[in-house]
Parts: sequence; C-alpha cells; structure tokens
Amino acid sequence: MDVIWDALGDAFNLLFSGDAETFEIIALSLRISLTATVIAFALGLPLGMLLAFGRFRGRRLALATVHTGMGMPPVVVGLIVTVALWRSGPLGGLEMLYTPGAMIVAQAAIGTPLVAGISAAALQQVDPDFRVQMQALGASRLRSLWAVAVEARLPLLAAVMAGFGAAVSEVGAAMMVGGNIAGETRVLTTAAVLETSKGNLALAVALGLILLLLAFAVNMVLTLAQQRGRP
Amino acid sequence: MNTPPLLDLRGIVVEAGGRTILDVPRLTLAAGHTSAVLGANGAGKTTLLRVAGALIRPDSGEVLLDGASATPAAIRRVSAAVLQRPLLRRASVRDNAETGLRFHRVPRAEARRRAGDWLERLGVAHLARRPAHTLSAGEAQRVSLARALALSPRLLLLDEPFSNLDAPTRGELLVDLGEALAATGAAALLVTHDRHEAAALADRMAILHTGELRQEGPTAEVWGHPADADCARILGYDTVLEPDVARRIAGNGARPLALRSEDCAAAPPGAAVNGSFLTIQAELRRVIPLGSTSRVIAELDGRRLLATAPAPAPDWLAALRPGDPIAVRLERDRARPVGFS
Repeated sequence: MDVIWDALGDAFNLLFSGDAETFEIIALSLRISLTATVIAFALGLPLGMLLAFGRFRGRRLALATVHTGMGMPPVVVGLIVTVALWRSGPLGGLEMLYTPGAMIVAQAAIGTPLVAGISAAALQQVDPDFRVQMQALGASRLRSLWAVAVEARLPLLAAVMAGFGAAVSEVGAAMMVGGNIAGETRVLTTAAVLETSKGNLALAVALGLILLLLAFAVNMVLTLAQQRGRP
Repeated sequence: MNTPPLLDLRGIVVEAGGRTILDVPRLTLAAGHTSAVLGANGAGKTTLLRVAGALIRPDSGEVLLDGASATPAAIRRVSAAVLQRPLLRRASVRDNAETGLRFHRVPRAEARRRAGDWLERLGVAHLARRPAHTLSAGEAQRVSLARALALSPRLLLLDEPFSNLDAPTRGELLVDLGEALAATGAAALLVTHDRHEAAALADRMAILHTGELRQEGPTAEVWGHPADADCARILGYDTVLEPDVARRIAGNGARPLALRSEDCAAAPPGAAVNGSFLTIQAELRRVIPLGSTSRVIAELDGRRLLATAPAPAPDWLAALRPGDPIAVRLERDRARPVGFS
C-alpha cells in the first residue's frame, strides 16, 4: 500500500513543484501524440470514406487489412518503422530514427487503422439514402460525402479518441524508434518503463497517473465537443 | 411550335443482377404539371424517380431537359427530391430546411428567409428551433417537403412522400402539398402505390408493373380504362373477369371486365335484374366484417369476385353458408372493359 501513497505524493509533487524535466516530458508526450492523432485522422478519415463508399475490387480485403491493423501490436509497428528508418534502410537518408519525428510516424501508423476502421463503420451506419437525399438537394459528390461525415460526427470523434488513446498509451514503438533519450525523446510511457526497471516504483506510478490525467483531459475536451447541445 | 417537355425520359433501361428492373421507352412531364407513376412495391418506381433526378445512371437511355440532352449536374440544378423516408440531418429543423439552399450557395440570410417561408406554409414554423430527430413522422415529412420546396425547383421529385404517415396526417399533407404545387407552378413527378394520392395530385398518370411502363395518359382516362389486367389491379379493380365470363354476364365485347369491390353489392341469390344493373350469379366463399362494411368473397367459375355488404351482415347474408349461391349487383357502366378497343 505504501507504494501507492508514495506514488500519489510523488505525482502531486511532480505536478505542482514545477519540476522542469517532468513538464518537458508531459509537453513532448502531448506534442507527439496530438500530432500523430491529427495525422492519423487526416489519413484515416479519407481511407475510411473510401472503404465505406468506394466500389472497387478488393474492398473487403482492404477492410479486413485495416481491421487487422486496428489490433496491430505497437512493437511490430515500431519494428517496421525502425527498419524503414535504419541508416541503411529505405528511408535511412532522412536520419529520423531516435527523433520525436520518428515517434510521430510510429504513433500515426498505430492510430491510422483505428481511425480508418472506426470511421468506415461510422459512415456506413448512416442511412445509405442520406447521401442520395443530399445529392437530390443539390450537393456535389464531395459535398454529400462531407454531409455524411458531419452526420456521423459523434462516432467519428470516438475514432479520434481511440486514435489518441492508442498513440499516447503505447510504449513499445516509442521506445524502439525514439530510444527514450532524456530531454529528446523521453515521453511519459517510456519514462515510466525506465523508472520501473530502476526500481523507482513510486515515480513510475506517478508518471502513470499523470499519463491517465492527461488522457482524461484530452478526452474530456473531445467528449464535450461530441456531446455539445445534448442535455 | 410546341414547347418541349420539361422532362423527357427516353429509352430508359436499368439492370441489376442481370435482370431488367426498369424499362421505360418514353415518359414526359410538361412544365408546371404533375404526373404520378403508380405501381406496386418493387415495380421500379424508386429507380425511375432516381433516374429522372440524375441520382442514378441508367444502363441505357437518356434524360432530356427542355428538349435537350442534360448532364446530371444540370438536372440536379433544377430539381429537388423528397425521398420516401424523411432523411433529415442531425440538426435543427431550421438548419435542415436550409440545407438545399446552402448546397446551392444561397447566402445564409436569404436561405433562412426562404426556408422559414416554406416552414410557415407547411405549418411547421413553430418547430424551427427543435432538433430534427424529435419530430413525428408527419412533421419530419413536412420539413422534408419544405426543404425541397424552398429551392423553388422547376422539377419536384416525390417518392411515396405519404407512405409512412397515418391516415389523417396523410390526408392533411396531401391537401397542403396540392396547394403548394399549385402555388409554385413547379412540375412534379410523384411515384406512389396509392391510386388515391395519385388521382388527388396528378393530371397525368403512368402505370409501372415489374419495371415496365404499361400505361400512360390523363388521370381520368387511365383511372377508368385500365390497359390490362395488371393495370386494372393497380388501379384498384380487385376483380378482373375473363372475356368469356364477361361476355356471358355483360353480353358484349371480347374484353375482360374490371370491377371494384366498392361498386359491387352483395344481393340475395336470384335478385331481380334491372336494365341499368348487371347481376352476377356466384357462389359465396367468405364474409369478412370491416367495420362499417363487410367484404364478401364470392367465386365465379373458380375465380374470385369481391363485393361489399353492410355490416353487421343483413339476415339473408348471415343465413348463407360458404358454397351457397349469392348474387352480386353493380351499375352496368361501373364494369370497366380492360384494354383498348
């Protein structure tokens, strides 16, 4: 039990003592995961639209692939990104490995299938005649697609939350492609792993609590946006 | 020179799953007029409406606008459709009513005014601030109509707009829509399975059966002169007598006769023959009470013959058993010959 009380005390201290290193870690975690979420949404929503409304050969195969991607272990994604960015790898010239950029790429890769899969389901949930009705009122093809997305905004925001949740919580890929370098690529999850391995359980739990708090804050904002106008 | 029709469907064929689901050689709609396409469920009515509105592309054939070949975009610019179920956005009634206008890039203030105007005329202005998903089916359909009419379309496409409504709501909306159409001067293409709706709104009527256009003409003419037995049934003639039976009873022609059960009165067997009436001797099968009247199912040469009797059944009818003889009487000119002479 002592560990938990110590952890609560540590977390409180870390948050309110204005510890610069802690805030640096929090800021980096937020920056990387939010950027990755925006990228995952920007890629995942059009992909979800294509999967939901496209008529092409292999649509079901593509959908099944995306659904598999939704459960892809972050370690596998980390491995793929590491291999791609390795000095002698296909994208080695970018010299991105062990930078926050590489972590954004990895987290976006984890989030994109989630956003795409949930978006496809969300968009298909809207009555197929809805889009026809919008076109019958003068909407162009693109405008009618947008109208369907607006109609499905609640589950689409759920897709964003799922994407952010996956990005901010994963540790395997962040560790592999970021390297957990203090002051450069150390984020909340990798820091927690490090402190655990060093035996600093209280500090590790404190970092975990901060991570939870952060995830809650972001999701609260998204939830408020989602539930706007409802009692 | 004649003005070309507003809408002209030529040689329209739509196939699905290797089957022809729509085959309409020609169907026209003059500006400012209302045409109804009448057909049973699955007859291809919705497909026809969507072809007319350029919402689906036919496998062959073309849609002409004002006599000239038109692009889908051009057709959608002048038309607005109201689909069967009121498909409203998850937004306020007012925002929904403005939707089409916003698609047409009408400035917000003007859109609000025009949409508000139509909400008012269709009696739903007091709901303007309500979320659309809280509306009843009748209210939602009114909003859906206001949304389409606010566009001041030259062509209004109506897909069974009354089918999800209860009878009183339907009756009121039918009157309001009729007035709205008269006021705007828009041409309307109404597809429906309900012949009464069609007759109430349309000056011309077309009959669609299993994807084929079977008959087209002025409403009164189609109503009284079904082109074939299928058209007769769609027009509410629930009994069609084969030519041989028809000849024996009516004594003329070689065409089938179509009868409506509401015109046919059940009578005691062997009831007196009157010159202006036809009397058909048949065999009773069943009597079904329907509230203020009873439906009498009789049989003639192995074919069903439907008639009407008061409810509760008069004594003579109550005494009859299935298989007993019964007479069915109707005014001679109510028996309509089927097909063209």
